[in-house]
Amino acid sequence: MEFVVNWLAATPGHATPLLLAALGLIINERAGVLNLGSEGMMLCGAFAGAAAALATGSPWPGLAAAMAGGAALAAIFAVAVVVFRTEQVVTGLIMVALGAGLTGLLGRDLTNQTLPGLRRLDLGPLSEIPVIGPILFRQDPAAYLAVALAIGLSVWLVRSRAGLRLCAVGEDPAAADALGLNVQRQRMLAVIAGGALCGLGGGYLALVSSQVWVEGMTQGRGWIAVGLVIFARWRPLLALAGALLFGAIEAMIPRVQAVGAAVPVYLMTMLPYLATLAVLVLAALRRRRDDEPAALGQPYLRQDRH
Amino acid sequence: MADRLTLTARQHVPPARQAAVLALGILLGLALATVVLTLSGVGPSAIIDEFVLYVFTTQSGLTQALTRAVALWLVGLAAVFALKLRFWNIGVDGQAWIGAIAASWVAIDDIGPPSIRLVLMLVAGAVGGMLWIGVPALLKLRLGVSEVVSTLMLTYVGFQAAQQLLYGPWRDPNTGFPISPVFDDPVERLARIGFGHIHQGIWIALAAALAAVALLQLSRFGFYAAAVGQSPRAARAAGIPVAATILIGVGLSGALAGLAGAVIVAGQEFRLTQHIAGDLTFSAILIALLARLTPLAVLPVGLVIAGIYVSGDALKAFYQLPLAVIQVLEAVILLSVVILDFFARYQLRLARPTVARS
Repeated sequence: MEFVVNWLAATPGHATPLLLAALGLIINERAGVLNLGSEGMMLCGAFAGAAAALATGSPWPGLAAAMAGGAALAAIFAVAVVVFRTEQVVTGLIMVALGAGLTGLLGRDLTNQTLPGLRRLDLGPLSEIPVIGPILFRQDPAAYLAVALAIGLSVWLVRSRAGLRLCAVGEDPAAADALGLNVQRQRMLAVIAGGALCGLGGGYLALVSSQVWVEGMTQGRGWIAVGLVIFARWRPLLALAGALLFGAIEAMIPRVQAVGAAVPVYLMTMLPYLATLAVLVLAALRRRRDDEPAALGQPYLRQDRH
Repeated sequence: MADRLTLTARQHVPPARQAAVLALGILLGLALATVVLTLSGVGPSAIIDEFVLYVFTTQSGLTQALTRAVALWLVGLAAVFALKLRFWNIGVDGQAWIGAIAASWVAIDDIGPPSIRLVLMLVAGAVGGMLWIGVPALLKLRLGVSEVVSTLMLTYVGFQAAQQLLYGPWRDPNTGFPISPVFDDPVERLARIGFGHIHQGIWIALAAALAAVALLQLSRFGFYAAAVGQSPRAARAAGIPVAATILIGVGLSGALAGLAGAVIVAGQEFRLTQHIAGDLTFSAILIALLARLTPLAVLPVGLVIAGIYVSGDALKAFYQLPLAVIQVLEAVILLSVVILDFFARYQLRLARPTVARS
């Protein structure tokens, strides 16, 4: 029982960075831009967050800098794919290499310094409730923020004028253009906002999860988020559920080892990647292709209007 | 202001224009790379010393670059096969890991008679890589699962599999380090060809390049592959066996990547180490795209990229620059090339007012 409570209580901490990146990717992809650079943007966020937190001695400026770091790389990506209509898959891969390379180059002096972390929220008596107290009411503020963001985004996308415009640009840019929307500007803003969220996810990894900067510390979480978005059918609330599932898998790994179960260590660490593959297969078996934004991955050119 | 510019996709890009744009892209990339290096404390004269003079005019530099180039040629060809079919194989690293594991397994467990041990190692590597890409290929063909994520996920799985072996049964008993015991037996090593550290793998890579030319440019398969890459639907309508073409081409891509892993353990490291793969995928795609998916062009491009790696080692030694700097250089070069390609693919014109103002 205690094992289960501890495991579930650790789950949100593992789910939050995945959720933040997945929400960022949903904003990107709903606008029709396939962003495979999330891994690089998360690394930029983690690095910028670590640097700013060390400089200021406080985690909140770190998280703000993490968003700026992710958004900065996303801005390069946006200029390339929106203005210069580069192939989105290749450009995404370039962003991964650029993010990993730049942070590896700049982050040499940051390695192994303890970062000022985010303190858990004190919810008083609520957190003392047995079982649900530790699971629901002893998380850090950023985790609650991420859940609120998922709920807010799910409402914003389908209920607000701006959200519907964003989706229109991703579904049928020609029609959106005809309605007077500025397709390119919408996409630029969506990419940069999404990159900021990916960066925040990376910043969370550095400032909350590990409180240290390590080169390449995202370890494929940006890619897992890409898979998560497909699994979640581009819906924020399903992404929340998926992130919790993956968070639970990630949270289980150190705990199973700590109990001393005779499970090979590195076969356990394969689990998140195998699980991503599994959910992609599941998503494909459901064959709900119509969920995918229709113009995903395609550059928009006004003369191509149909 | 932006509305005054109109953009038209060119139906046909003249080869001269394409070549000029590619050259400009590479030049811009090199200029940006110089800026990155200068900001990192490596001045222009040092850049010329390390990147040009050392690598391409000294025997030690050139042999190191050629040794490095062997694996890069193989993975570059792997990317050419996949990209011809518009299959995003971004799991080259994983296939190389599996290829390296398979070859090491043959060597460590002394499988097969010594006379063909080396051949078995290389074949095992190629088969391992082929099987490793087979899963994403089948998932894409049968279920429509995006190969972008699946090939990459299997890279992490392949890396963890190597860790499982290196921290487990294959850990070096002498030192306790997580690297496998050395393959002592000369039949388990690719012999040196008598020019620096260059080993027989160079013949394998050159043969692979020639085979790729034959397959992609002279055979019916190449014609099918080009058609499938352009438009799978049109190819299917024309009676081309689309699924078989994709399976063969993508399988060859995985096999080449696996072979690269096998060649690295059999010719360079002589053991399974922590540094078999890691940044092969991006280099492979960079090489294939700069070579414009032409197998023979992979050779000079791969050699230049290998030269960047060799100078990276020097930068690490003399300027304490991490190897991440190579990733940055590769990324800015490819970014410049794909951005400038815009000027080949599109025509920019200032719009003239079309409606007469009354």
